[in-house]
Amino acid sequence: MHNVVIVGGGPAGLSAALAVAAAGAPVLLIDSNSRLGGQYWRNSVDELENQNEQHFDLATGLLLINAVKARKEIEVWSEAQIWSATNDEGKNTLRVIHQGKSKIVNTANLILCTGAYDRTLPFPGWDIPGVMTPGGVQSLLKGHGVLAGKRVVVAGTGPFLLPVAAGVIKAGGEVVSLVEANKSRRWVSSFIVILENLSKIKEAFYYIKTISQGKVRGQFGQAVIAAHAADNGELESVDIAKIDRNFKVKKVKNIKCDVAAIGWGFTPDTSLAGSLGCQQVVAKDECVVVWVDSNQQTNIPGIFAAGEITGIGGSDLSMAEGVIAGIAAAKFVGCKVEVLKAHRKRRAKRQRFANALIKAYPIKVGWQLWPNDQTTICRCEEVSLGDLKFSVEELGATDSRTAKLFTRCGMGLCQGRICGRSVVDLVAKELNVLPTDIDRISAVNRPIITPISLGVLAQGE
Amino acid sequence: MSQFEIQFTFDDKTISAVSGQSVGAALLAANQRSLRKTRFNKDKRGIFCGIGVCFDCLVVIDGITNQRACIIEAKPGMKVQTQDGSNA
Repeated sequence: MHNVVIVGGGPAGLSAALAVAAAGAPVLLIDSNSRLGGQYWRNSVDELENQNEQHFDLATGLLLINAVKARKEIEVWSEAQIWSATNDEGKNTLRVIHQGKSKIVNTANLILCTGAYDRTLPFPGWDIPGVMTPGGVQSLLKGHGVLAGKRVVVAGTGPFLLPVAAGVIKAGGEVVSLVEANKSRRWVSSFIVILENLSKIKEAFYYIKTISQGKVRGQFGQAVIAAHAADNGELESVDIAKIDRNFKVKKVKNIKCDVAAIGWGFTPDTSLAGSLGCQQVVAKDECVVVWVDSNQQTNIPGIFAAGEITGIGGSDLSMAEGVIAGIAAAKFVGCKVEVLKAHRKRRAKRQRFANALIKAYPIKVGWQLWPNDQTTICRCEEVSLGDLKFSVEELGATDSRTAKLFTRCGMGLCQGRICGRSVVDLVAKELNVLPTDIDRISAVNRPIITPISLGVLAQGE
Repeated sequence: MSQFEIQFTFDDKTISAVSGQSVGAALLAANQRSLRKTRFNKDKRGIFCGIGVCFDCLVVIDGITNQRACIIEAKPGMKVQTQDGSNA
């Protein structure tokens, strides 16, 4: 029987791997991290009792990780970077650097679970050392036992700000301000969604309890709109503004801090799926996601996708999708298994919760007025908003792709992963039009998935 | 797997790390927030995304440029340096 190749060792990938193995097919699990678990279950050692106290539910993660390690049908490649992927008439070729060695994987059966990373918005000073993403601050705590700073501002929007603030407090740091841009907790209005997802509510209260023990009160309807450096060029303070419903700035105050963790939800990393030619669509939250059918299959038969790359929804939804993708992929390679109604029901329930969150934490266009002409938009190539405007007003760029070619905005080492979404919005604003789905999808097109040295490229086949 | 202390250098300083920690995490724990200077404006940059996506925490490790401090594990005796521009 042919094996199933799974990319990504987070909640979706682990669940998918176990489902395929349980159906009786062999699995190759390719993961870029040195330890399984993904961003959500990032961990530092193998035993639960030796972990730093940063997880609400690491027990579930370790159960899955240890189950994956215990199954002889599953081969795991850790520290493996896929830098190129192509699909040629049903045959997929992945080029991988696995622990320093160049390898090629050919397969017709793939499950993509490549996850997401923090979405950021540009503002004056967002490139000063000390301004970070919430995911970065949490990864330092969970994976490395390091508190990013003593006085921390946590800001942006979304439920993810809560575990990050709680984590800082648990590690002995001070959260000098916890700032949520959106005003209400609108999602509370849907009782059915809450009853269906009580474990998520329990998790939220667990963080809120820790946060209130740290004597921190969340501020709603506010945002960090500027950061300032001390003489040494490192973060000294941030400007926190009261903002209206459309994120337009009202009143500003300055707060001293040495770290500002600022995140605006997540961006799926669909680069691998895009390279393979999987159809991508724009979701309600304006994320570019991989289109899948009810069996988590993409438009290309044999390629499945699960987790955040099919729509931001958190670890529980990712696991539910991973199980379905795993069963469907196992069936595709000939195993006698079927996706059950119970699996679909579980996914639907968690999808409703994810939808409620997306509705409750929108990102409004007012943020586009926070950067000024000197503000760096592309951190890699040091392209300012002024440069972008010049490319539209003086050079005649008529869309974000052309503006990118004129300015190199989004053409640096991160390949537009950080600025790409913002550039699409900012260029459209200059042109006084709305971004199209084509603009958004073309901004995530990356022929080389991760930067590699010319030496590797020269090795060829 | 038990953890143990290791040491590496950053420019002319000796930095201690716990085995398994990334270069960037150990440097931040030693209060080293700036890791490189940008090519054009010579602005200071440090860890931003922390998970290997943004390429802002670039340092030179044992003579090799453009290494992401946030995802490379600290090893005993590593020679880590501030990256100035592209260091080319």
